Amino acid sequence: MRRPAAVAVTLLAAAALVLPPLAGASGYAVTVGISFLAFAVLATGLNLVYGYIGLLSFAQVAFWAIGAYSAALLVVERGWAFLPAVAAGGLLALAAGIVVSYAALRLSRHSFAIVTLSFALLSQLVARDWVELTRGPAGIPGLPAPILLLPGLGAVAIDTPVAFYWLMLAYAVVALAFVHRLVRSRIGRTMLAIRLDEALAQAQGIDPLRYKLLAIGLSALLSGIAGGIFVFHLTIVDPSILDFYYTETMLIMVIVGGRGSFWGVLAAAAVFAVVPEALRAAPELRMVLYGAVLVAAMLAFPEGVGGWLRRRRVARWRRLA
Amino acid sequence: MDAAFLAQLVVNGLVIGMIYALLAMGLSLIFGVLEIVNFAHGDFYMLGAMAAGLALGTLGFGYWPTVAAVTLASAGAGLVLYEALLTTLRAHSFERSILLTLGVSMVLQNGAIYLFTATPRIVESEYGVASVGIGDVTVTLVRLFAIGIAAAAFVLLWLVLYRTRIGQAMRAIAQSREAALMVGIRPRQVARLAVILGIALAGVAGAALAPVYTVHPTMGVLLVFKTFAIIIIGGLGSLAGAAITAVALGVVESLIGGFSSVVLQDAFAFLAMIAVLLLRPQGLFGRGVRV
Repeated sequence: MRRPAAVAVTLLAAAALVLPPLAGASGYAVTVGISFLAFAVLATGLNLVYGYIGLLSFAQVAFWAIGAYSAALLVVERGWAFLPAVAAGGLLALAAGIVVSYAALRLSRHSFAIVTLSFALLSQLVARDWVELTRGPAGIPGLPAPILLLPGLGAVAIDTPVAFYWLMLAYAVVALAFVHRLVRSRIGRTMLAIRLDEALAQAQGIDPLRYKLLAIGLSALLSGIAGGIFVFHLTIVDPSILDFYYTETMLIMVIVGGRGSFWGVLAAAAVFAVVPEALRAAPELRMVLYGAVLVAAMLAFPEGVGGWLRRRRVARWRRLA
Repeated sequence: MDAAFLAQLVVNGLVIGMIYALLAMGLSLIFGVLEIVNFAHGDFYMLGAMAAGLALGTLGFGYWPTVAAVTLASAGAGLVLYEALLTTLRAHSFERSILLTLGVSMVLQNGAIYLFTATPRIVESEYGVASVGIGDVTVTLVRLFAIGIAAAAFVLLWLVLYRTRIGQAMRAIAQSREAALMVGIRPRQVARLAVILGIALAGVAGAALAPVYTVHPTMGVLLVFKTFAIIIIGGLGSLAGAAITAVALGVVESLIGGFSSVVLQDAFAFLAMIAVLLLRPQGLFGRGVRV
């Protein structure tokens, strides 16, 4: 991204993220912004697993929920401070990710998809039915506003949507920057190599399992932390945090954005976080639309819009050469 | 613990187990022939049940004409699914097949919620709650019919697979795609029939269960995921393994529900699947590891 156009787009995007809340955008718009940022982290996590290393994971929503529930329970029942609780939630999600994927990777790609799906369903059952642990369908309402000790500002209560927006923005920028560094590094290229041809990668002396566990573990950590922050914005965590809606939306973002395309997935996250709100359609109709988009994408753009653009670019280079 | 209660649980478990088996065999058939995991399978089961509700309630059909009509309509839906969507998938596009059928599932399920609301509805046939007693065990007629319909479907499926040329071709493709192509089997024709049979089995399962339980747009969700667990436990691609595991799971779940907790009842299939993957990854009835 060294061309002037790319710099201009980046500046515009940064301005779009920073200016509206400063200019006093409505609480509703800020809430949509928070959900976009959360989805940007979730979709990038899924992109790391499905886009870069080629494993279709349905467990991302479970990692997000583990982070959410752990943070909420640690704060409400153990009296932990917000930041350590959210960090612990992320680490628990990481541990769950490693254990589940280690079992799921035993057989094949086929069973990986099914086992991660079952893990998400098991998490749903635990959230709904294991009342002693998760308080069942009622969930944990009334989560307190987090208080952060910021250098120069002292103790700041994060109790307005705008404050939550800044917190989520700060987290998302750090998380996404980290993933960006990773996928542009040797590790990221190795992951792509494993997706494209695992046998060939193995022949080069690469151990695919380690990279797979790294990708899943990192995505679980990032999703778990995002979940922890997000539920304190909602002020309640209940089994709806595990709704299949999150999985479907994440998948749409990665598919349409183009698997393995860092910026494509972020752009798709922005589109699919904002457009449905603008349409104000009934939630069922929105999911019908998403389903149709998924089918159409599979038929027309199997590599997503990002992949389609990349193919066009490659074709142009070939013509020039 | 009394024997009648135990027997009652086993009979109830058999009903649900037979329905699991209908779904699992359809999924397994489609997976074996096309290497597609059909995420929309549960939604065709739901459509079958909804259609049965419509036929029995609004249209005033009898029980047996309803079952026959729903089976035919489901076979038609299978044909449309195959010709419109699944033919576009090439070999080795496992993830694409999941995402494509997931999209179909989202459209069907949310479309049904939008049109009919998510409220569960009770479907009544002319048999109502009439029941027969066998010893101390009382079974409603519609439960008995569900078992009978499932058993009849198994026999028909077995006849197709083992007594017809196209069934033989189907088994040949499931065993070795390349070898089947070499001896001149036309995969398209065989794949079409596999999808039609699989979806018809799902539809008839829905029709058979509609008068037993309530009918609603998300009734297929948990069921189809349990069915995935069943075919993994039974061994991917093994029809007999899928059927045996399905019936066993129905009975075990029913016993757990009767004597232990409801949480464990729904979670059991997934825990069993994870245990099987760790201990015997090819499945209980699998022939060997398929990678």
